Amino acid sequence: MESLSETQWDVLIEGTGLRQSLLALALSRSGKKILHVDQNGYYGDAEAAFSLQEADEWVEQVKGDSPTGTFRNASLWKPDEEASKEERKLSFSRAYTLTLSPQIIYTRSQLLTQLVSSKVYRQLEFQAVGNWWIYTLPEAEAVSESDQKAILKRLPNGREDIFEDESIENRAKRSLMKFLKFVVNYEEHPEIWQPHAESSLSDFLASQFQLSPYLQTLIAALTLSLDKPEETSVGYALPRIERHLTSIGVFGPGFGAVLPKWGGGAEISQVACRAGAVGGGSYVLGTGIKTVQEKGEDQPIEVELSNGETVKTKYLARGSESKDDTTPSPRALSKIIAVVSSPFASLFESSVEGSPLAAVSVVVFPPNTLTTDTIPHTHPVYIMVHSSETGECPAGQCVLYATTLYSPTSKALLDAALQALLNSAKDIGDAKLLYTLSYEQQGPASHPSLDLAFNDQVLEDVAQEWDAIMGEGVDPATFMQFEDRPGMNDDDNEGLASAN
Amino acid sequence: MASDESLPALKILMIGPSGAGKSALLIRYCDDQFDSESSTATIGVDFKVKKLSVHGTAYRLNLLDTAGQERFRTLSNSYYRGAHGVILVYDISNRPSFQAMERWFEEAETNAMPGAILYLVGNKMDKASSSRVVRYEEGEELARRHGCGFCEVSAKTRDNVKKPFVDIVDQIVRKPELLKASSRRSGTVALVEPEGTGSICAC
Ligand SMILES: Nc1nc2c(ncn2[C@@H]2O[C@H](COP(=O)(O)OP(=O)(O)OP(=O)(O)O)[C@@H](O)[C@H]2O)c(=O)[nH]1
Ligand SMILES: [Mg+2]
Repeated sequence: MESLSETQWDVLIEGTGLRQSLLALALSRSGKKILHVDQNGYYGDAEAAFSLQEADEWVEQVKGDSPTGTFRNASLWKPDEEASKEERKLSFSRAYTLTLSPQIIYTRSQLLTQLVSSKVYRQLEFQAVGNWWIYTLPEAEAVSESDQKAILKRLPNGREDIFEDESIENRAKRSLMKFLKFVVNYEEHPEIWQPHAESSLSDFLASQFQLSPYLQTLIAALTLSLDKPEETSVGYALPRIERHLTSIGVFGPGFGAVLPKWGGGAEISQVACRAGAVGGGSYVLGTGIKTVQEKGEDQPIEVELSNGETVKTKYLARGSESKDDTTPSPRALSKIIAVVSSPFASLFESSVEGSPLAAVSVVVFPPNTLTTDTIPHTHPVYIMVHSSETGECPAGQCVLYATTLYSPTSKALLDAALQALLNSAKDIGDAKLLYTLSYEQQGPASHPSLDLAFNDQVLEDVAQEWDAIMGEGVDPATFMQFEDRPGMNDDDNEGLASAN
Repeated sequence: MASDESLPALKILMIGPSGAGKSALLIRYCDDQFDSESSTATIGVDFKVKKLSVHGTAYRLNLLDTAGQERFRTLSNSYYRGAHGVILVYDISNRPSFQAMERWFEEAETNAMPGAILYLVGNKMDKASSSRVVRYEEGEELARRHGCGFCEVSAKTRDNVKKPFVDIVDQIVRKPELLKASSRRSGTVALVEPEGTGSICAC
């Protein structure tokens, strides 16, 4: 075949992260000649997923990266091989798919609509993000709890659940229902919230709906906000609460979000790249962009690749971060990926009839629930618990994805949250940590990559770039709208028997 | 035909070096066509569907081609998901294509699900008398070492083209645990009504 430099490329896409992979998918029926490269030897970029061995290599890679890169301070911990009993040990490297993109996808996200309309959903297996749990200290409960241990309390899953929840008194229930009724139609009642758009959610819930601190905490959990509740604004929170509530039941009872099996966003980017390849795109990994020379209007851009080849392309779609940016990012998150020796079955049990077995549960640790003498707990901690049904770990284990806003003590806080989860989940006996991978991820303050739920802003960026590449006269309504590829030829029935 | 949708589906992959004739073999088997000009036949073909009966039971084969992602060895893990069988193709008139097979075996063995059936195929048998450089015995020996089936075929002349597919399906269906491992579980969420015509609900 022709070498890369002999081809006149229409589009060169840099990086195979989710955004660029979705761009490749969007362009996969355009007939344009597309070269898609990634400097890493694997797909997914900041949304990749790894076996244990690949995770080791990634940690080394991050150590060599510039401190202003997306990731920093990656480190691994594994218990002493000798000390671990046979049945509670890590399995082989490939038995794990640890993902950098465990973002949940709300059922009303346009991403799902577009994965369906572009037909690539057929290559994906979606699983339910079922139960939401809130870590609660005994004294914070409305009804006293004989057990003095902190507990995980299931978040009410819709209105019926709230009615039946005995831990909420009747008057509080009425206030809560009033708020829920408002929030699912908040856009129609700007007079109620717009004057408070910049105020904190907690103040708004207290002053406008008389919600108790405990109920404020429950509501705040639904926002997946990484900020302190008093710094989470009404304008930010309401659309997220509305999204949460109105997503429940869209694809079935008992859940409002999904995640693709085998590593969430990482799997979507691979499937999208395959669609790009099926459409004729060329894929080269381990090859980045070294230099770019714009030759002026109507001249192809000359791009020198890290493998020494120089290619010409009409359009260059760059990766997410500009490589020469030396200003530190304004926002950083602290993250831990942990493997535990328990299936955590009780976390996934369905509370709603007819709901699919959840593969992902969300555990929220509101501020001040994990405070110790040495660790302040000012920002919420979230742990996404993935069962082995996700394909990310062997049966009998779970993968935990813990996140909080970065601070000098945030890693210790995440460790404390993991320990608290291990101690409080009822069925686990003496579950223990088999592996932890901790790292920090940074980016612009409101960047979609720092969100715990897939942010549809990504799709708007993709659509905009697609539009720019397709040029004048392209119908925006055709974005991601594809027919199934022909493949069916069920005319002949072989009726063959094999040799015996 | 709606009934075909309900046949048990087997996912079979084609892998191997560029130019070995994976696409040619697939198109010969599915459409009984061969185009010696085209070397980009794979564009636009995600997978081919073929009905095949073995021991009186009909199966729906979903046959996936590499979509060119093997050229720079950039097949993704997701390509291998749920595959029951992998057909590894080399060209008997091209020594490097045969030498590359060890790495393709390694890739298939690490990425396919445990127990998936591998099958080695030496293509372009029609060139045996003129330009064969890989002996039949070499292919046979490589297959033996990996414990898999082997045959030589010609996509050009049709010789033996059905054999790899029939053999691999025969081996797959002897392993019920393999079929079970890939069946979708109760936890799977359908984004589209099963019988629906592509409409996404309530969005
Ligand atoms: N003589 C002969 N030529 C063949 C045979 N099968 C394929 N070819 C030729 O070999 C070349 C490569 O075949 P493809 O089917 O495109 O090979 P591929 O493995 O799909 O490789 P990619 O181009 O990378 O997708 C084409 O020119 C085919 O016509 C065969 O059985 N005999
Ligand atoms: Mg081909």
